Amino acid sequence: MMIQLLNGVVYGGLLYLLAVGLVLIFGLREIVNFAHGALFMLGSYIGFSIAAAFDFWLGLAGACLAMTLVGIALDAGVLRPLRKHDHMVTVLVTFGILLVLESVATAIWGKAYRSMQPPELLSGTVELFGQPFPVYRLFVIGVSLCVAGGLTAWLRYSRTGLYIRASSTDPRTTAILGVDTDRLSLLVVGLGTGLAGLSGVVAAPLMALSPTMGSFILIESFIVVVVGGLGSFSGAFAAALLIGQIHNLGAVYLPWASTMLPFLLMIGVLIWRPTGFAGKRT
Amino acid sequence: MSAAELDPLAGARGTSMRNRWPFHLALAAAVALAVGFAAPHLIASVLWLSLLTQAIVDMILATSVGLLVRQNGRISFGQAAFFGLGGYLFAVLMVREIASPELALAAALIGPTAIAFLLGLVIARIPGVAHAMLTLAVGQAFYEVAFKWRELANGDDGMSVPLPRTLFGVDSGLFQSPSSMLVICWSLLVVLLLGLALMARSPFGQLTEAIRENEERARFIGYGTTLPRAVIYGISAFIAALAGVLQTLYDGYISPEMLHWSLSGMALIMAIVGGPKVLWGPALGAFLLFFLEDLAGDATEYWPALVGGTVILVTILLPQGFAGLIAGLGRRAGDRLGWGRP
Repeated sequence: MMIQLLNGVVYGGLLYLLAVGLVLIFGLREIVNFAHGALFMLGSYIGFSIAAAFDFWLGLAGACLAMTLVGIALDAGVLRPLRKHDHMVTVLVTFGILLVLESVATAIWGKAYRSMQPPELLSGTVELFGQPFPVYRLFVIGVSLCVAGGLTAWLRYSRTGLYIRASSTDPRTTAILGVDTDRLSLLVVGLGTGLAGLSGVVAAPLMALSPTMGSFILIESFIVVVVGGLGSFSGAFAAALLIGQIHNLGAVYLPWASTMLPFLLMIGVLIWRPTGFAGKRT
Repeated sequence: MSAAELDPLAGARGTSMRNRWPFHLALAAAVALAVGFAAPHLIASVLWLSLLTQAIVDMILATSVGLLVRQNGRISFGQAAFFGLGGYLFAVLMVREIASPELALAAALIGPTAIAFLLGLVIARIPGVAHAMLTLAVGQAFYEVAFKWRELANGDDGMSVPLPRTLFGVDSGLFQSPSSMLVICWSLLVVLLLGLALMARSPFGQLTEAIRENEERARFIGYGTTLPRAVIYGISAFIAALAGVLQTLYDGYISPEMLHWSLSGMALIMAIVGGPKVLWGPALGAFLLFFLEDLAGDATEYWPALVGGTVILVTILLPQGFAGLIAGLGRRAGDRLGWGRP
């Protein structure tokens, strides 16, 4: 039972890494980024290729860096020029980017499933609650907690963090008060995309790599973002852990309904509170 | 209150135009129907007839998504749910012999309509991004049921749907032969568009547009806004279900892919590429994308990239879609020639 809960935290941690990127981008650009799952996938593959040539840690760093650059290009090349358009139109454009990226991955890495080994340092198991538990899963929990802690501290105590929180609450007023939201957005979308790359590499040893590997986890992280409340960082954290548990416990105890449960939760929450647990925006 | 009184442009258009629009509409519909009936005689290639038939089913689906955008101002990422639901209800009720084929067909159209109407009462009130996510969630919930529930229709393997020998007294082979199915689907599409054009001009259509533009003001004037929105949901689901039933009849096969959100996304892209502000825009978008896929030919593996690239280019270069472009050009040409605005 404890092991199951821990596995739920592992999945919740991965969801959090994706969802927090979505929240960051939504805060500045007011769009839900459909390409996020594809960015996760791309990060996975880049990490996989570098890890195959050199080692895991270089792959992790390389993928994060590459995806941050992709994010900056995404903001400067697509999101900024489209900021005056209807936001739903921009959402459709990110859907188009998703399709393009999936094809790019198919062209480079092919459709066949690939798998990635965890680094040797993390490949063993430890005894937890009387059962063996893979060290790598503990590492995943550690990474997501570090990101959550670091991000929260940064958002709370730095000036940039203040600007980002202000923009997430009300982008227009923040811009009027003299914050250069376009420059801020470059940083924020880069960071969000970098986190998608990070979670892609971290998740790679736990799942099979394929060009469509991002689509399922994308939908679940959408659910996290909406249930937690659009634009809310703490809401996303709580919702990610909740969905992680539901996903895992559902798979064990209610296998026939497990994939439905997050959707039902989301439908219920949105009907009860259209803004989600902690959100103020729709 | 008549439609004309609600329409602020009616006076500016002049009385002659106001009286002539039913004539124009009827003429357009008649020409379109005639083209449809002539098509099987003009096109010799069975492959082309078959492709066209599938394209028309897509056009009907895209029209249903476009209707939500045009009359409700809502973006749906879950329209495939009603498309698939129509197909599944029809197939399962018929194959399990729960209902006669005719009754199954009626249930397959009425069921999704009723479900969408009830859902619409709740979800239509939620705007923006949350609405898009909610429709996505509802759609995926239906998909999961079809995917997981093996006893229903073989889960993710899908199920073949043997047709009865006759349906509504006609030989059911008609529904699987491209030359006749093309005419059937096209005629249904024309009738649908005609009905939607009439609805848009009716007091109800004007009311839904007023709600789309400013829900709060519509409430101030004293209209309930939830019910009209839900009715539009119902109509839109009816059209999607019709497309689903047509596809099931034509292919003789159902699978959970019919309900998957990637199809919903595709339908939405078709509608946006075509231009949902014009009645026939979504259908045009579906048509263009369908034949873009055919042109892609050997590069089908990279077909998603082609669609993705198209949607990016069209949204940036043609925010009104292709139909917006054509309508704009037509209007300009009309002005130059001294015609009234249609």
